[in-house]
Amino acid sequence: MAKDTGTGAGAGEILLDIRDLSLDFRTPRGRVKALRNVSFPVRKNRVIGIVGESGSGKSTILWSILGLLAKNAEVTGGEIRFEDRDLLHASEPQLRAVRGEEISVVFQDPMTSQIPVLTYARQMRDILYRRPNVSVAEKRRMAVEMLAKVGIPDPEKRIDQYPHHFSGGMRQRAGIAMALLTGPKLLLADEPTTALDVTMEAQIIHLLQDLQKELDATVVLVSHNLGLIAELCDDVVVMYAGEVVEAGEVREIFHSPQHPYTRALLECDPARIDDVSRKLPVIPGDIPDLTKPRAGCIFAPRCQRVQEICRTEKPPRVARSPVNMARCHLLAGPAHDPDWPPDPSVITVGRGVEADATTHKVPAEQTLLEVSDLNVQFETVGRISAWLKGLETRHVDAVLDVSLTVRPGETVGLVGESGSGKTTLGRSVLNLVAGQAGSVRFEGQEIRAMPEARFKPLRRDMAMMFQDPVGSLSPRKSVRALITEPFLIHGITGVDLDAEAERLADMVRLPKPFLSRYPHELSGGQARRVGVARALALNPKLIIADEPTAGLDVSVQGEILNLMADLQAEHGLGYLIITHNLPVVRHIADRLAIMYLGRIVEEGRTDAVFAHPVHPYTRALVEGVPQPDPDRRRVHVSISGEVPSLLNRPKGCDFAGRCPIAQDRCRAEKPAHVTMPDGRRHACHFPLT
Amino acid sequence: MGFYLLKRLGLAFAVICAVVLVLFSLLYLIPGDPATIALGPRASPEAIARYAERMHLDEPIWRQFLIFIGNALTGDLGVDVFSERSVTTIVGERLGFTLALVGLGMGWAMTLGIPLGCLAAVRPNSWLDRVTGVLSVSTIAVPSFLVSIWALLIFAVHLRWLPAIGAGEPGDVVDQLRHLILPAFAIGLSWVGYLARMVRASMLEVMGETYIRSARAFGLAPRRVVFGYALRVAILPTITLIGMGFGGLISSTVFAEIIFARPGIGKLIFDAVMARNFPIVQGGVLVATGLYILVVLISDLLIAWFDPRVRESL
Repeated sequence: MAKDTGTGAGAGEILLDIRDLSLDFRTPRGRVKALRNVSFPVRKNRVIGIVGESGSGKSTILWSILGLLAKNAEVTGGEIRFEDRDLLHASEPQLRAVRGEEISVVFQDPMTSQIPVLTYARQMRDILYRRPNVSVAEKRRMAVEMLAKVGIPDPEKRIDQYPHHFSGGMRQRAGIAMALLTGPKLLLADEPTTALDVTMEAQIIHLLQDLQKELDATVVLVSHNLGLIAELCDDVVVMYAGEVVEAGEVREIFHSPQHPYTRALLECDPARIDDVSRKLPVIPGDIPDLTKPRAGCIFAPRCQRVQEICRTEKPPRVARSPVNMARCHLLAGPAHDPDWPPDPSVITVGRGVEADATTHKVPAEQTLLEVSDLNVQFETVGRISAWLKGLETRHVDAVLDVSLTVRPGETVGLVGESGSGKTTLGRSVLNLVAGQAGSVRFEGQEIRAMPEARFKPLRRDMAMMFQDPVGSLSPRKSVRALITEPFLIHGITGVDLDAEAERLADMVRLPKPFLSRYPHELSGGQARRVGVARALALNPKLIIADEPTAGLDVSVQGEILNLMADLQAEHGLGYLIITHNLPVVRHIADRLAIMYLGRIVEEGRTDAVFAHPVHPYTRALVEGVPQPDPDRRRVHVSISGEVPSLLNRPKGCDFAGRCPIAQDRCRAEKPAHVTMPDGRRHACHFPLT
Repeated sequence: MGFYLLKRLGLAFAVICAVVLVLFSLLYLIPGDPATIALGPRASPEAIARYAERMHLDEPIWRQFLIFIGNALTGDLGVDVFSERSVTTIVGERLGFTLALVGLGMGWAMTLGIPLGCLAAVRPNSWLDRVTGVLSVSTIAVPSFLVSIWALLIFAVHLRWLPAIGAGEPGDVVDQLRHLILPAFAIGLSWVGYLARMVRASMLEVMGETYIRSARAFGLAPRRVVFGYALRVAILPTITLIGMGFGGLISSTVFAEIIFARPGIGKLIFDAVMARNFPIVQGGVLVATGLYILVVLISDLLIAWFDPRVRESL
């Protein structure tokens, strides 16, 4: 896939050409001009990435190629030429002949994009329905062959299974097989790895690379993940608020971005920032209101280098080569700045309010939260059913012998893939899930299995930030009611709720007018702020944050993390951050605990864990993150396979089945936790040195 | 699966026991001697004594209850007070009429209501959707006995297209079918509305799912997407509704049976209550309850057959 991008710029036959595409969505608020004069070519046998944050219109482009736009969408101009046809003006039967046959799609979330009540055999046969002279048996053979090609073991048998029999990674493989089944000329991929875990993501990227090379396919890849784009693409289109701000070859975009937005986006990506300074760069401001787009440059209100002309005149299209172009006044015209873009080492975006980052104080010696040998079990079958089936155990260990401490003012990152038990651990600390054995001490007091009546006063000192920022807020309550709700829950009277609401809104930097809004009127970042305000309402000492940046754009997640860091410095809060996002946790956590199948496999200081992982699983996670640098593409995938089910936990080391260095001993004997001289702990028979 | 069936049958048995208990206590909750209640105040002492012995009235109540359950399980529901015929036979004779009526009524409601709901959901806010909406609310709102009377007046009395009362000549299938049409129309009409609304609502939800968008992105024909994919998922909650409706109709067809003077379980129970013919009431209600439980069980199994996720959790 990594072709020599330097040769013959502009060469290559154009398969799909998007010209001047403009599109509106009719909404109750007015016409949202979601795409404005979008143009770019898709060249044959190359992978082009469309990158942008939410609201940039990148997915809308995909759906307009297929003619599957929402009913309230209206194309106001332009054309999409596919070979010799204009897809925008094709009839529905013509489009249907193209869909799935000539242009196919790999979808974002394999959990929801495959119908749960039909087998893969049936779903794949249906995709081939346009071939009446191919027999059913032949179609099945084609499908089995394709499943084998995407790495599904035992495809002859698994093809008769339903999507819920497949794990997330396997489902996405099947999704890719379905997309490639007809041998399409163009493959569209909509965030193909966003719903997957890190080690699965690495495997899927690898698979896509191999298949593209083998089939010489043309791919349009839509993603917000710069690492994925760098890893897979030959060309990149950068979108912002419905416009193409920059386009070019992948190395040019990543190594010498011309547009201030591209530059800012790259600087905000935690995976690219090497110095761990705790303060992450952010792009201040929000995506503009697209019902009335402004006259000048669309990025001007958030641009650090904004000039007078940017607010009044559309920026010129400046092409450095036939394939590389950017739209910015800094590059040409009266506002031309010969010193732009500056050297890559210069940071062009702000770092939140207090830029003098490293106010990182040493955490106090006493402990706030101390978990030792905690076990949480879940019942899997009923008593009678187990007796009838002759099962010996009716439980699975969701959390197994976990020990962990959080000190005041300290941030502990709890990292693991889905099913690792990290969320269960967080919930059992809050007594939302009952632990069966071990102890959980909060400020020295045993709280495991404490009756709710006694535990309730303690809840004021511990708060939870939930994973889904919008979903965890009641849609019928205003922001004011939401952030003062904790006072009502704990029956705290004698406080001026309005004053408290304003104090908290101030604290999380939420403008006052937002207090009377409702959750659906908030952006992801704003909803997250409301979540932080709710958590802070009663001045807790410990905050458990479940995926605090999930669903947030790169430019916004820095704001939330900086806010959390500021509040910690101010109030001495202890944070337990549950996440699978390694680049983020690297910047904010003092210590890391890596969980696998309910056990902590490694624990230690964040810098040490990243610099020198001891457990092979940790190393796989660290290496699994796609790097936003096209020169650092991986050539191998460090681990294969998937997380085993809790129902059949391996006898020896839980990781033995996927471990590249596993020995016989690993398969026979569970490794105990070992503390190393520098205070790190791990559970591995053969720690990496 | 086997375990699931066992559990469901156990539950069904518990429900039937509870129903029997209520039916049984009926006799004792009414003031006076059960035999006198059953036979009336003018019965001779010999008749009362004979009746008491046959009904085991001299045994303790709990034993009477067990005897009743035991008999019911072996198919013996007692004997009609008046004709002295077996209750099982009497109920059996009427059951066929009721099942034919409910089957036909629900059948035409399904064949019309489900496609209407689908089409309305595929084209929301079209004229078809609006007509379906108005139609379903009005058919649900109008009571079925009123529909029965109007249907009778219009088609039987005024237009004379169809017979008004009775179940038709025994053995003459065509005549029996002609007699079924009006009552089946009357009891099915409100179900057209229920089903159309229900299917429309769940179809709208399913059509918004991403797997429907996937199916369209793979170029499948709209008919295949709607009926082969979306309906397969959207029908699941409707199956439960149909099961419960079918079970409920077995006894609530009584309106139609009275108005059209048709034999049937509902009318049998109604008449027996009026005549204080308790063995028939007990037997009839027991059979209706058992059928209800059976139909609901079948609808749950049907859902499991459609949905592999449910199937495997059984």
